[in-house]
Amino acid sequence: MMINFILNGQKVVSTAKANERLLDILRTEFACTGVKCGCKEGECGACSVIIDGKLVNSCMVAMGYVESCTVMTIEGYRKTERFAVLDTSYASVSAVQCGFCTPGMVLASECILAKNPNPTEAEIREGISGNLCRCTGYNAIVQAISIAAKEGKGLW
Amino acid sequence: MVNGYQATSLKEALKILAKESVTPYSGGTDLMIDPEEHATFLFLARISEMKNIIEDTEYLRIGAACTFTEIIENELVPEILKEAAAQIAAPAIRNLATIGGNICNGSAKGDSALILFATDAKLRLVSSRGERVLPIAEFYLGRKKTALKSDELLVEILIDRINLSNYYYKKVGARDALAISRVSFAAILNVADGKIVNCMTAFGAVSDIIIRRPDIDAMLVGKTTKEAKVVKKEYIAAYDQAIIPIKGRISAEYRKAVCMNLLRDFLESNGI
Repeated sequence: MMINFILNGQKVVSTAKANERLLDILRTEFACTGVKCGCKEGECGACSVIIDGKLVNSCMVAMGYVESCTVMTIEGYRKTERFAVLDTSYASVSAVQCGFCTPGMVLASECILAKNPNPTEAEIREGISGNLCRCTGYNAIVQAISIAAKEGKGLW
Repeated sequence: MVNGYQATSLKEALKILAKESVTPYSGGTDLMIDPEEHATFLFLARISEMKNIIEDTEYLRIGAACTFTEIIENELVPEILKEAAAQIAAPAIRNLATIGGNICNGSAKGDSALILFATDAKLRLVSSRGERVLPIAEFYLGRKKTALKSDELLVEILIDRINLSNYYYKKVGARDALAISRVSFAAILNVADGKIVNCMTAFGAVSDIIIRRPDIDAMLVGKTTKEAKVVKKEYIAAYDQAIIPIKGRISAEYRKAVCMNLLRDFLESNGI
């Protein structure tokens, strides 16, 4: 009666009910507090995670949906080489201010670059269009992603 | 799992649906906004019969559990539907949200449903008792009310293989991403041998149900552009009567004005 999935590369088993939110379970049962809760209605992107290679809002996912899926949160992603490139590029242009949107924004950045290693500015803006940021005005984030695309040649 | 069933085939899903009190869960993006605490979900995302996009001699058949990302990326899908799908929410929602869910949610604001109204799409509804094919206009009974029976699943959407390339589509929202339609409008107009052979229009987010009036659109069919111009005033007046918007977060007057402007723009863009 348990839910099995892969979380940040590890096989895990959750005792959660199938109708509970992935967001809540990631934060409470698995202590992945980098997954932020902003709106619980799929409007802000702060709770973004990557399921089977695709960016999703974890507030919009019921636990039963993730059975046998691969889930990546910022806690897992930060151990990758790609993260290191984004970390440096975000820092280089001060693309982080309060930081609340940042985990989701970084995972959205990963999905943009995984799909297209040389995105145009319009493609970057489209890729982060579901991730709201109240501090930066977005320009620095767009710049950071385009720097990562250049600096991370071959990684994506 | 507790409070959920993960179905891997249509047969299995229909069996569960016939016996248990479950809520079909496709992409989940409407359900999870306000999930019922005791809901038991029937997860449909792994049902391959609901994930195909194929063409046969009559129809383009889109599996109800196809996500908007899958629809945008599929080469068989007509541009009008891709354009509408690409304007839904944002990438992370489009990766989950499905066309079947957008229809079964029963909202007149469903951006893909609008296109399916404009193209007179049909819905293939299947239960363990059998199946039926219903025109989309007959599926919607009222705000959040559909003809779907409790033991039925929407399995496929069937779009006639007519030419949909000359289309008009506008979604009016408060912003580009993550916006609910305030008014939406889709239309197709085909001309062959100098005469209009089809004119199909639909107005979304205006009333409880998407407005589709083939009887009014018929006024233009069989006419040349020049002849259509002669009846234009009458055509617009007919829609002026037919469109009775409801007041929501925005006023009925605003909705009406936008509808009529979009209708005129559609006609003008086709030289009418």
